[in-house]
Amino acid sequence: MRIARATLGVAAMLACGAIAGAVFSAPAPAASAPATRSVTTASGVYSAAQAEEGSRLYAVRCAMCHGQMLEGTMETPALRGKFVANWARSPVGHLFDYVSKAMPQFAPGSLSPAENAAIVAFLLRENGMRAGNSPLSSDPEVLKTITFMPDGPAR
Amino acid sequence: MRNGPLARRDMLKGSLAAGGLLGLQACASAPAARLASAAGSRLSKPRLVPMRITPDQLIDVKCCIRPLRAAGPNLATEMVGDTLVVHNYGHGGSGWSLSWGSAEIAVGKALSVLPSEIAVIGCGIVGLTAAVVAQRAGLKVTIYARDMLPRTRSFRASGSFTPDARVALLEPAGPNFPALWEQMTRLSWKTFRTYLGVTGNPVEFSDSYQVSDKPIERRTYPRDPAITDSYATKGLPLQSAEFAHLSSRIRDIVPQAVPLSPEENPFPTPYATRTSQMHFNFASYGHLLMSEFFERGGAFVMRDFHTPAEVATLKEKVVIHSSGYAARDLWKDRTIIPVRGQTGWLVPQPEANYGVRYNNVSLLSKSDGVVVMNNNPDLGDMLGVGNSMELPVRADIEAGLQIMAPLFAPQPPARPA
Repeated sequence: MRIARATLGVAAMLACGAIAGAVFSAPAPAASAPATRSVTTASGVYSAAQAEEGSRLYAVRCAMCHGQMLEGTMETPALRGKFVANWARSPVGHLFDYVSKAMPQFAPGSLSPAENAAIVAFLLRENGMRAGNSPLSSDPEVLKTITFMPDGPAR
Repeated sequence: MRNGPLARRDMLKGSLAAGGLLGLQACASAPAARLASAAGSRLSKPRLVPMRITPDQLIDVKCCIRPLRAAGPNLATEMVGDTLVVHNYGHGGSGWSLSWGSAEIAVGKALSVLPSEIAVIGCGIVGLTAAVVAQRAGLKVTIYARDMLPRTRSFRASGSFTPDARVALLEPAGPNFPALWEQMTRLSWKTFRTYLGVTGNPVEFSDSYQVSDKPIERRTYPRDPAITDSYATKGLPLQSAEFAHLSSRIRDIVPQAVPLSPEENPFPTPYATRTSQMHFNFASYGHLLMSEFFERGGAFVMRDFHTPAEVATLKEKVVIHSSGYAARDLWKDRTIIPVRGQTGWLVPQPEANYGVRYNNVSLLSKSDGVVVMNNNPDLGDMLGVGNSMELPVRADIEAGLQIMAPLFAPQPPARPA
């Protein structure tokens, strides 16, 4: 069983209605620090306002393929569930890079770094990772220090 | 031009078909089967082989309970001790039809906590499909169940693509359910298409006729204002209008019924529609799915569960729970409403490869038999609701065959042209 114990612990707390993410104390990401498990996407690495902006962008730039509920189709990947497994344990910078360079598929690279960061923030929110006080940076040096890790089971 | 008796018979039938209205009137007054048309007389008229539907052709009668869950299938997650349980049960009469889409959601939730191995409880079509989907995503899967697929309730279904058959009650399911249902249905539909044409025809389409002595109207479900109670007050639905009817959401991919002109109607009834129906052949489909499961290294452990707490004793810490109707007792889910249904099975008749429905009785030719359903009395979605009597009643099937008999009665002697 490779489920991180902390992950299941958080899942248990969610199920019990406890405050999500309380077990994580998220230190501010240091630009020079290597990627470690101490800073993960479960630690509140984006702001609520940023995710809201991402939601707006998603609706007009992404939803036509990935679906309004991020559900995907037979041909287009869902952005929940399996999506988390696909990106977990690697720096969130990988996801940011991919979104920046490959998406939207009909016009890759057409969104600004800030817009792509907002979309990533929205994806984190939609996959159950809590918001923090500061927006997610679009600086690759910062993004490579944050590990993509879920905060509990998908809704 | 051929000579001899065959050519003469073709000519007679051709003249009958060309008779148009005259033929219709003759048929309306005398229940004469008109099942084989002259080759080449009209492209639109299908040549159908009559089904043999006398009771001596019955090879099986099966009964099963559909797990109608008022709010629709349970796809929620919960923790039992240190174990994440992803529910995937309560699909009403739509388990087969929704199996792939539902598995996608359940497996997605399981994957979101990054397991390398999971357990699946239940080996009906919903559990087994979820197990295979999890394997396709790279997980090691063990199924824990009382029985393998052929002895589950899934194998006692009729096996047609019916994704909104008693799948939920509209109000308890809430405003988000229709979109979720559509998502599951579309993914399932596309996945079933990947089985079309595979050896053994695990999934296939056939023409499906509805025939009637009265004009055929599209069924609607108006609310009966005289019935003031509902599921909310009684814990059971009381009229068809309470059920979720969602098929209009997938009209763009699922063939719709079209009315047939008298010249196109192969049956001796004045009215008919034709559509194409997707169905599942249990034997080949089940064999294919079980084979994939084992080929991918799946393990099957025969065991029963009696309390939710037992789930946490499994070595796998992520569990997809697909016990179907059994969840009513295992998980104490009293929102599951039993909906009884039964099927009769006539000897396989592959040469009669179609389905027909008449006076609430249906026949559908499948590889493991012609399935007979007698949905009388005509209660719509209320038929069988709340009934957990799971023993088959052969007499009801025989009564259904009797209702269908006029459709296949021998032709009267053909009149000279």
